[in-house]
Parts: sequence; structure tokens; C-alpha cells
Amino acid sequence: MSGRVAWALLLGLLTILPAEPLAAQSRRMREGARGAQGIDFDELNIPYNGRFTFVRLRFDPLPEYGGRGWGGRDLKWDHDYPRAERHFTKILDEITSLGPNFDGSVILSVDDPELFKYPVAYMSEPGFWTLTVEEAASLRDYLLKGGFMIFDDFASRHWFNFEDRMLEVLPEARIVELDASHPIFHSFFEINSLDHTHPYYGLRSVFYGIFEGNDPEKRLMVIANYNNDIGESWEWSDAGYIPIELSNEAYKLGVNYIVYAMTH
Amino acid sequence: MAAIFESVFAFLFKYRPLVFERGDLAFATPWPTWVLLLGIAIAVGLTFVTYTRAAIRGRRDAVILATLRVLALGLLLFSLTRPSLLIPTVVPQRNFLGILIDDSRSMQIADRDEVPRDRFVAEAFGAPDSTLRAALAERFLLRFFRFSGAAERIDDLSQLSAAGGRTDLGQALDLARRELAAVPLAGLVLVTDGADNSESSLTEALLSLEANSVPVYTVGLGQERFARDIQVSRVEAPRRVLLGSTLVVDVVLEQVGFGRQTVEVQVEDDGRIVASEEVRFAADGESATVRVQFTAAESGVRRFRFRVPAQAGEQVERNNEQEALIVVEDARERILYFEGEPRFEVKFLRRAVSDDENVQVVTLLRTAENKFLRLDVESAEELAAGFPRTREELFAYRGLILGSVEASFFTHDQLRMIEEFVGQRGGGLLVLGSRHSFGRGGYSGTPLADVLPVVLPAAGGPSTESFYVELQVEPTRFGLTHPATRIADSAEESAERWRGMPPVSAVNPIFEVKPGASTLLTGNAAGIEDPAVVLAYQRYGRGKALALPVQDSWMWQMHADVPLDDMTHEVFWRQMLRWLVSYVPDPVSVTTARDRVGPGEPVTLTAEVEDQTYLSVNNAEVVARVTAPSGALSEIPMEWAVDADGEYSASFVPEERGTHKINVVALEDGEFLGEHTTYVSAEELPTEYFDAEMRAPTLQRIADETGGRFYTPANVATLPEDVSFTESGTTVIEERELWDMPVIFLLLLAFVGSEWAYRKYRGLV
Repeated sequence: MSGRVAWALLLGLLTILPAEPLAAQSRRMREGARGAQGIDFDELNIPYNGRFTFVRLRFDPLPEYGGRGWGGRDLKWDHDYPRAERHFTKILDEITSLGPNFDGSVILSVDDPELFKYPVAYMSEPGFWTLTVEEAASLRDYLLKGGFMIFDDFASRHWFNFEDRMLEVLPEARIVELDASHPIFHSFFEINSLDHTHPYYGLRSVFYGIFEGNDPEKRLMVIANYNNDIGESWEWSDAGYIPIELSNEAYKLGVNYIVYAMTH
Repeated sequence: MAAIFESVFAFLFKYRPLVFERGDLAFATPWPTWVLLLGIAIAVGLTFVTYTRAAIRGRRDAVILATLRVLALGLLLFSLTRPSLLIPTVVPQRNFLGILIDDSRSMQIADRDEVPRDRFVAEAFGAPDSTLRAALAERFLLRFFRFSGAAERIDDLSQLSAAGGRTDLGQALDLARRELAAVPLAGLVLVTDGADNSESSLTEALLSLEANSVPVYTVGLGQERFARDIQVSRVEAPRRVLLGSTLVVDVVLEQVGFGRQTVEVQVEDDGRIVASEEVRFAADGESATVRVQFTAAESGVRRFRFRVPAQAGEQVERNNEQEALIVVEDARERILYFEGEPRFEVKFLRRAVSDDENVQVVTLLRTAENKFLRLDVESAEELAAGFPRTREELFAYRGLILGSVEASFFTHDQLRMIEEFVGQRGGGLLVLGSRHSFGRGGYSGTPLADVLPVVLPAAGGPSTESFYVELQVEPTRFGLTHPATRIADSAEESAERWRGMPPVSAVNPIFEVKPGASTLLTGNAAGIEDPAVVLAYQRYGRGKALALPVQDSWMWQMHADVPLDDMTHEVFWRQMLRWLVSYVPDPVSVTTARDRVGPGEPVTLTAEVEDQTYLSVNNAEVVARVTAPSGALSEIPMEWAVDADGEYSASFVPEERGTHKINVVALEDGEFLGEHTTYVSAEELPTEYFDAEMRAPTLQRIADETGGRFYTPANVATLPEDVSFTESGTTVIEERELWDMPVIFLLLLAFVGSEWAYRKYRGLV
């Protein structure tokens, strides 16, 4: 029994936490009217032009949790959209030399062939992630060919759904805890401490990863911000809802993830 | 035809044309000239008077009959003057005749009625009573020489072995002339197929012979053109490659009698077939170039053999293969990849070559202004200050890749240094497409623009900033077989695979390459009329420059249409980077003119010595350490060739057979500059079996320029007599009567007979 599992179990038993932070709920309440059911996401997407584009993966959330959001349902994967990516790409452009696309971002389903044009993808709320067999196979190809995935905004018992789905994608994968010595934490900013806590729940954040061939010397294919929500920090970094230090750390992590994914 | 003419001529004129060529016409009559002229005048006058007064009806008949009679009388008078030829002729047994006999291996070729060429030598000269030898010995004192690569005097023809590995006609003629310089020499007889494969000049030898009035009579053995033969004429292979590299080698085949037929070219690595390629010849006699591709899978000095299996009815089978010594180096070539912004090309390029033990890509990534991420550096100091600022630092790499980095990032000195990296250091430069490269990066007018193989559009042009196309890549004809872009076993498969690759995007409008540059890949897209350049290169100075103006070659790995196990992206990048750093010189390098020499032949070494900044060094101590196959070590000092900076040369003759290792070490003021190793093999070479047809033009030229004659076994019987008519050596003037030539009698008969026939016809009898 790994420390990670024990830790997750303990959290699962102890916590009776609100499933959604209040501020986020209110945001989705406000923005819910924007769309209608059956919205064509492709219309929101900008076309590929070779520059870095923020890609958010969408999925059908576990039915028992669906509710609000676009079309009156809480889609889960859309948490923090679109402010998080807007703010983050702006920061990327300000801080680094990579020149990302500002005009918009991209929302893709897991098995969309277009996903292969964007070797970094972000998924929010994997605690509610559902997968078809085709999606699992497609995502497996994506990761093994060279794709990189960032999982964010999940905590506590959400782990179990994330782990199950991830093992459907990569049955042989070992999900391992990363420490601050890994190159991903030094690709741009020198992040020497991973002593983070969840912005709302106060839980200690843990950074998990999956390596190519399960070899820690090789490429990191997946990073999971467990007990963390850096998207939330990006989204509200201009509104004062989140402590500035937290936003800073969230941006640092995000920038490092992107630079790592572009070089490894 | 010539033989028939000569026989008819000799029948009519009593002697062969040569006698008339060499002799002078003279009249041996005892009468004074005025008596002769008077006699002729009287005869002509009397004839005309007689014929005009006689009862001949018409004036025309009188003229015709008188003319015929005058001609007959003239002929008789001509004979009475005793015409004769004065011809210089050798005095029997007072002159020497040098007979030079080809003793090279090509004399074993049985190309005329299955009979080896040296059979003629045995039959004509083998025993003292052999026809030709006996006929010559009647008139001359014979001296025999044998020659192949070297020449020597022989007393006994049993010493001939037809085993020489080379043929040097000039040296042989020179030696014979010198050895016989002190005796009256009637001429030299050169018995050979004429297939000279030496490096010495024949012209000089001929000039000396001409100056000394020594005629050379050449006897050509063998066929001028084989009926059926295939020859591997040339193999163009690199002398040095990196382990695991794909070698693309051009094999030039010549053939006669195999038009429209298909044969297979095989490549063997120490006896193991590593590749084969079929080729269909065009018309009979036309050569073909076959491009074979194989991988250098084992390191060390490898002996690759390129052969066409012997075909039925081939006249020479030993010319069906060529060998090449190729040094396969298990080195790790370092390439600097400087990328101006984090982008996926970095990740996928690094991944593609990460398992390649022979290519190391050191990445310097500008992640932000004045902030760099270094990957795969060897030490904490390497690239610590960003892009190299000194020649030593930059020239330590063998290849340089420039990504999305604008020209203004570099100082002018750095741009000049990059230009020198290619032009002087001989490194390989690859520039990738991006929003900061080529014209968009402001490189027009910079030293880098000179190096690039493509024509840059003017910076800031109206279409430059918004240009974006997705290109479907198509290899050019050259690209199909080029080591960088041939991505499958055959050219056809390679073309098919390229066409199946997903499109890549470009933001640099590049449609034109410079004169002399080669395009390997092009791209087509909707909205552009001409194909865009996807991969092009040119030689620049000592190095080469490549342009790959696309921004996401990683699509060939990542795109949804590319299967997970497809290795095209990896193969492409590995091949391209290996080719990028191939033939990149070291500061000290040594080459030999040939990788294999025959026994006793000298090996000429040429070393180029430069310092770490690739500036030539003329005062270095350069020593070649030659290790023979037995392990015996000899040191040969190399001398500076005064006419070329940094060039040193030396030569040695291998004493053993086998592969010799030559390690050249250069020092300047006791400080180590560098070293380099090459190999040469001393062995019996099959040179004699190549281009082994009889060279009639060469032999004719030798005869013509020296005043001799060219023979073949068919007409060699007249040689003894022909050699007799010479001004060389001790000669006497021989008088040959011409009055009794059959042609005079026949003409006389014709004139008299015509007169009679005319009279009969006109009723004048």
C-alpha cells in the first residue's frame, strides 16, 4: 500500500467537503446563460497555426454529478474556462519567448483527431471523467506518440475516478509521486519546494506523474495536480479572490509544465 | 579491307605500299636526259604524223588512235629509263630490335575464340623457331623485355607469367629505349593489349622516342570490343561514415551485349550481403548508374564489395566487382541546436535522436529574453553564457541547427562566425522554418543569407507576416535517393511514404533555391502556384547548409493519421542529422589518393593541419605513424607542401600485404593540435581486368607518333619485312627495280588492245 493511496483513503474518510467552491459556482451561474445544450464547440475553437494554443479536454461527466454549466448542466471539464486559459496564455507571452495564440483556445474531446495537433492538453476535474473504449485508445496513442497531459482541479476521493480512467488509458502505467528535483520543476522557474495546498480545502497538494515506459529517467507524459487547482488560481488571479502568492505559484507551475512539454 | 587492298597493291606494283612510302623514286638509265627527251619528242611527233597522214577517215579517230599509241610508247620509254625505288634497309644482323611483351594479367583474358591473349606471344615468340621470331631473328639481334607495372629485360620468354597487376606502357618504352640507347636500334616492337592503367604519362615517352628516331611497331592483342561483358566501372562511396548511418552509394555499370536486360547489384560487408538493387540496362552498350542503400552496422574498417553476379557468356568475370574500404566510426558527433523559443520542434527533434548513440544534439533554448535552458550539455560551463561568442566554442560542434531566432539576436560577429562555421570550419548548418527565421527573422542581407541555399524574400514584404500554408510534401527525384530523405528501402517505397505523410505548415514563403543548390523536398498547398521549398541544401565553402522552412515537422510523428509505431519522423531526423555532420573535417585530417594499392606501389599521404579555430598551420610537426598488419610500426615525417597552406605530404611503400593503419599526429610548438586516422590496403588489385579491351587508338597513336606501324595478329606476318625498311640503326640503301611491275605490262596490254578494239569497231582494220 503506497503512501499515496493511504493518504487518499484517509482523506476520503475524513472529508465531507463541499464539492464545489462557492466562487466557482457563482461564475458558472453567471456564465451558464452563454451557451445552450448542443453547442458546437468547434465554433469556439481557433484554427491551428503552428503556435502554442491552450487545449482543454472535454468529456461527459459522471451522471450523478452533472447539473449546471452550459445548457444548465455542470460539465466539470469547463471549470475556469475561458478566463484561466486567457490569463495563462497572457502570462506565458509576458514571461517567456514562446509567443502563444491570444485569439482564443481550443476545446476538444479526448478522441478528436485534432488533438494530435496540440501536444499539450489540459483537463480539469478528472474526478468526474468518463471514457469510452475509443477515447481510451486514442488518448493512449496521443500520450505514447509524444503528447503531454496536465490534470488539474481534483482532490480527495476524486482520485479514484482519475486513477481508474488513467489505467484504462495506460493499463501498465505506474502513477508515481514527483518530488521537486524533477526537471519539470526547473524547466523555466526554479521550483524547489512542492509545499502547496489546495486553494479552498487546505489539503496538501501532491504532484503525480506517469513516465514513458514507467522509467523515471524518461519523458514525463502526464502530470496530475492532485489536491490542487492551478486553473482556479489562473482564473481569479486578476480579481483578488486568490492570494497573490498562490496565483504566482500556479503560474510558475503552468509555465514550467509547458516549457517542459515543449522540450522533453 | 586494308589487307585486301594491300594484297592487290602488292600484286600490281610488285611491292607493298610501305615500300613505296619509305622509298624514293629514281631512274637508273645510263642515257642522258636530253637523249630521252629527244626520243620521246621524236616518237610522239612520228606517231601523230603517221596517224594523220594515213587513210583515217575522221580527225577524231586519228586523235584517239594516236593518243593510245603515244601512251603505249610512253609506257615503254618509262620502263626503258629503269625506274626503281631507293629504300633504306637494315643490314642483317647488325641492328638490334627490342621486343616488349605485356606481362600483365589482362593477357590471360581469352576474348578471341576462347584463346588467351598470351597464347599469341607463345606462338609467335615462344621458341627460337617460332615463325615471327625466326623471321625477325634473320634480320635483327633481338632483345626481349617484359613489362606490367614495371619493366625489365628478359633472356628467356619462359619468364613471362601474365601476372602483373598493372600496365604502364610509357615506363616500358622508356626503359627499352634507355637500355638500347648505345646500340644501333632498328625499332621497338610492343606486344600488348594497350590497356594502360598507370598514372604515368605516355606522351613524354613518345616524345623521347620520336626525338631519338626509334619507331615503335605495336601489335595489339585482344578484341577492341567485347561481345558480352558487364563491368562495375566505378563506385562512389564515402571513405568515412558514422556507425549506423545509411550509406547511399552510386555504382556505375558498363555493359555490352546486355541491352534491355536486368541484373542485380549486390553489396557485401565482409562477405555478407547487406543490400541488393536490380537494374535494367537501356540499349546495348549504354552504361547505368545504380544507387544502392545500406546501413553501416558495424564499426571499424569495413571492406564493402559491390558486385554483379557473373552472367552467362561474360568474357571477363573479374571486372564484375569493386571493393571499397569504408571507415565506420563509432563516434558521438555533437550538434548544437539553438532554438529561440520553446516550441514542439525541440521536443520531437530531441526525442527522434535520443536513442542515437552517434549523434548528440546539445540544445540551447532561449526560454525568455536573456534566459536560456541548456539540455544535454557535457559540463556546467558549456553554453553557460548563451550562444557561443568565440570560434573555439562554436567550432567545437560539427553541426548547428538554428530554430526560431531572429537575426537581431546575434551580433554581426556572431553571424559572421556562423558563416565561417560552414565556409571555413566545414560544419553543417540547418535552419528551420519559424516566425523568426529566414526573411521573417530579418536575415536578408546578413552573412547568413549568403550561406543559405534558398533565396530569401525581402524582409517585411507585404505577404511575409501573414503567410501560412499547410504543405503536402513531395520528394524531388534527387530527394528520393538522397541519404537524408530516402525513408524506405527503395525509391518507390520512399516516394509512397512521403506522399502518405500528413501535411506540415510553413510561415516562411520560400519558393526559390540558389543556383547550385539542390532541392530534396517540396510542398504543395492550395493557394500557392509554385511548390514551396521544404528541404534544400548547398555546399558552402568546406561545409554545407540546409534549409527546412517548415515549422512543425513533428506532425510526421504526432498527427492522428500517423500510426503509433511509424518511425518515419525518427528515421528522417536521424538520417538528416547524420548527413548534416557527415564529411565534416577535423582540425587534423589525412587522406590517401587511393584506399587500396597494389604490392610495391607507393601510398601518397596528404594531411591538412589546422588549429582549433580552423586556421591553417604551416609550422607544425606532423608525423604519420603507419602500423602494418603484423603490428610493425614506422614513423614517417610529413613535410609542408609549400604551395598550399596547412597541407603536409609524405609517401611510403607498404612492405606487407593487408590493411595498414595510418595515424597522423600534429603538434605546434610541442602542443597537440590533433590527430586523425585512415587506412590503406596493400593487395593484389584486379585493375587489369577493368577496361581490358584492346586499345587500338592508343596503339595506333604510338605507332603514328614514332613512325612505326600498328598490327594485329591477322597482319603481323609482314612485320619483319616492314621493320627492315627503316632509317634507324645501321642501314644500306637498297635499289628495287620497278620496270617489271605487273601494272606496266597490264597497262601496255590495255593501250595496245584498246587501239586494236577501236580500229575493229570503226572498221579501220
